[in-house]
Amino acid sequence: MSNNFFEIKNVDFKIGNKVKVKNVSFSIEKEGDIICLLGPSGIGKTTILRTIAGLENINKGSIALKGKTLSSEKINIEPENRNISLAFQENSLFPHYTIKKNILLGAERNEIKKSKSINSGELIDLLDISQILDKFPHEISAGEAQRASLARSLITQPDLLLLDEPLSNVDQSFKEEIQEKLKKVLKNSKTTTIIVTHDSYEAFYLGSKCGIILNQELKQFDDPYNVYHLPNSVEVVNFLNRGILIPAEVTSPKSLENKDLGTITGNFVKPFPIGSKVKLLIQPEDLHHDDGSNLKFEVIDRKFRGTNFIYTLKTPTNTLIPVFVHSHHIHQHEVDEKFGIKRPIHIDHIVCF
Amino acid sequence: MKFNSWFVSSFLISLIVLIPVITVFASFFEATSNYYEILKNTFLIEYIFNSLTLLLSVLLLTFIIGTGAAYLVSFYEFPGSNFFKWALILSFAVPPYIYAYSLTAFFENYGTAFTILKNLFGEANYNKNIPKFDGMFGAILSISLSLYAYVYILARASFLYQSQNLIDLGKNLGFSRFKSFFKVILPAARPAIVAGLSLVAMETLAEFGAVDFFSINTLTTGIYNSWIYFDDLAFANRVSFFLLLFIFSLFILENLSRRRAKYHFNSKGGFKQKEKIKLFGIDAYLAFGFCFFIFFISFLFPLSQMLYWTIKFPENLFDLKITNLILNTLYLVLLSSLVLIIFSLISNYGNRVSNNKILNFLSTLSISGYAIPGVILAIAFITFIAWFDDSIVKSFGFSSIKKIFIGSVFGLVLVYFIRFYSLAFNGIKSGYEKMNISVDESAYLLGYSKRKTFTNIHIPFLRNSLLFIIILISLEIIRELPITLILRPFNFETFATTAYISASEDLLEAAAVPSLFLILIASLFIIVTSKYILRENHE
Repeated sequence: MSNNFFEIKNVDFKIGNKVKVKNVSFSIEKEGDIICLLGPSGIGKTTILRTIAGLENINKGSIALKGKTLSSEKINIEPENRNISLAFQENSLFPHYTIKKNILLGAERNEIKKSKSINSGELIDLLDISQILDKFPHEISAGEAQRASLARSLITQPDLLLLDEPLSNVDQSFKEEIQEKLKKVLKNSKTTTIIVTHDSYEAFYLGSKCGIILNQELKQFDDPYNVYHLPNSVEVVNFLNRGILIPAEVTSPKSLENKDLGTITGNFVKPFPIGSKVKLLIQPEDLHHDDGSNLKFEVIDRKFRGTNFIYTLKTPTNTLIPVFVHSHHIHQHEVDEKFGIKRPIHIDHIVCF
Repeated sequence: MKFNSWFVSSFLISLIVLIPVITVFASFFEATSNYYEILKNTFLIEYIFNSLTLLLSVLLLTFIIGTGAAYLVSFYEFPGSNFFKWALILSFAVPPYIYAYSLTAFFENYGTAFTILKNLFGEANYNKNIPKFDGMFGAILSISLSLYAYVYILARASFLYQSQNLIDLGKNLGFSRFKSFFKVILPAARPAIVAGLSLVAMETLAEFGAVDFFSINTLTTGIYNSWIYFDDLAFANRVSFFLLLFIFSLFILENLSRRRAKYHFNSKGGFKQKEKIKLFGIDAYLAFGFCFFIFFISFLFPLSQMLYWTIKFPENLFDLKITNLILNTLYLVLLSSLVLIIFSLISNYGNRVSNNKILNFLSTLSISGYAIPGVILAIAFITFIAWFDDSIVKSFGFSSIKKIFIGSVFGLVLVYFIRFYSLAFNGIKSGYEKMNISVDESAYLLGYSKRKTFTNIHIPFLRNSLLFIIILISLEIIRELPITLILRPFNFETFATTAYISASEDLLEAAAVPSLFLILIASLFIIVTSKYILRENHE
């Protein structure tokens, strides 16, 4: 028996007889940790949460919380006896009760336990729902319903909280503020949480660990920094959609050679034999702009992202390379102009496949 | 496949509902008396011809009245338009057979029309100048003016939810008001109108009281007569077979059109509330005139005729055991509602929690009872019980069970159950459809058991739907005639059977009192639920 707070071992997640995600294993070591599951829509993230909550059965592997098996081929503890709370993505508020009554129904469960410290007033302020307390679910917006549902789930003080795209209907302008508050309340109340999202920035901010689900598999489960900078597969790189893979040849334990960029030095995350032909991950932050450099490529696109620009450059071999430039850089380059890259090129973590 | 309690109860309900259909089909090959041969060579063609004439005429008339009235109240504002919006559904309170009594009472020789003319202009032979609305024409009028509300309600709902964009589109293409109606509004509402007409068709083919009163030989009266006068159950079932085939094809048509109607109504995106066009001058008078005429002849006329006779012959009021009739009606209504609600809840809840395809199929089978005419249900039920008693019960040496099922409240409620199960089942189903399944799951995750979710979440949520269903069932049972007539216990009468018996003995003035009570009680129920009917029917 492991000492992990929560553990999933070799589980096939399915709806009916259709397997959505195969052979998944991951764990949450300590109580109060937050992890995020990231993946494209329809991949099976919600199925994972529903199964953990006990709303779907499994016939392979096991799910355990606080050392107790909740689901396995033979065991299936009923959802109402798991003390796991799930906030659904769609409106799941009781339609015939006001928002206040909906939240208080969650508080009833909390009262029975009287364990942790979280109160409804705090949550109502935090999620900014004081204006809608006396309204019925059909009288409020989708974003408000989502926040009310979140409040109801939080107030139950479950052993494990599952949030399915908790902020997908929340206005963009309000999202960051809610993310901060949500993280604060989860940390303060030491609520162990699994959040499902398709927004990588939300996952990187909220989760101490992130799982990437692609092509029916949990491809990577690691801390956000590693998921971003040290992706373990081409699929993860493509999903995060920030870098490109260019052909290169390993020339020494600390360098490679690319036809367009020349010599690139750095530390290999995974060693490759000298002479190996590899695909090198180039992320926008890896290359630096230098007007004085003689390594120049043609600008074919420029995206303004507020704090920065992402230039897309075309090399003589027709490879498109993204380069990050701070938006306060003294001048801008237009499409079709030449754009210099600083040499020598050094990348801290060299990721190759 | 789990054979849990949900499956077993759904299976049992479906089996009970299917008994009449199976009986009718099984009896098709049985030998019948000579009556069949005589009838086949003489009257069967007449039965079919009369049924078709009645059906097509009623469809045409209900289409014109229902669609016309719905169009006026949905698109235009004129004096009384808000009143007519709900007043036009009051015709439901007057069953076709009571309408038939009123029609005859007013226009017959020396009837109410004669009295009015005599009082106005003095003694004369007015009888030859007063038109006679009897026979086939009387039956068509009686049924149409009672049933047009099906078309009216569904067409109105469809018109109401037609987006302003659609109307604007017509204007944009330069259509006149007339052209817009035929090219845009009517085609868009077609599925709803077809659904309404299908209901009218089923009710018309099942109609017994009015056609029997006017002595029209249709398939339905043929079934009743072959049983009551010639004691030929096998023949009754054989005619039922033909009628059922016809009705099932209508049922399928109705289901298909309803599916399309749903598709049409789900246009949430781009929906823009219409603004009603205010009518002035002659247009306003014409619109008012049309709606008032329909309201008058379909509701006020039979109501006043019955009221007039009740006042004119007050002894009938005192002769009638009103308290008994009210108690009997209440007894039937309460018992049937209770049984229907309990089983429909079990079935719906079972479908919801188990989400099993076989269960869903069984539920669909079990709602087919509504399509089967009451006469067929009652006679097939008697046939089945007789067969079961003779072939099974007695062969095991037990004493006869006929008395338990035939001529008993138990048997009556059982057949009501078959007839009105779809009403209760679909009512609860549409209530449940408004509640996302994740609401149940949220309750489980808040620590609620399935039972507590049902009692604390589902029941309070469905409360209004349940109330509405109880009132609808009550309305149907109060108006119901053939099943009650055939299966009621000895000396157990309702307002409907009392009216029928008096009318069939040519004592129309005695039929007026129970008819008046029936109209008043039914109107009360309709007024209570009118908001719900007019708001909810689009779903």
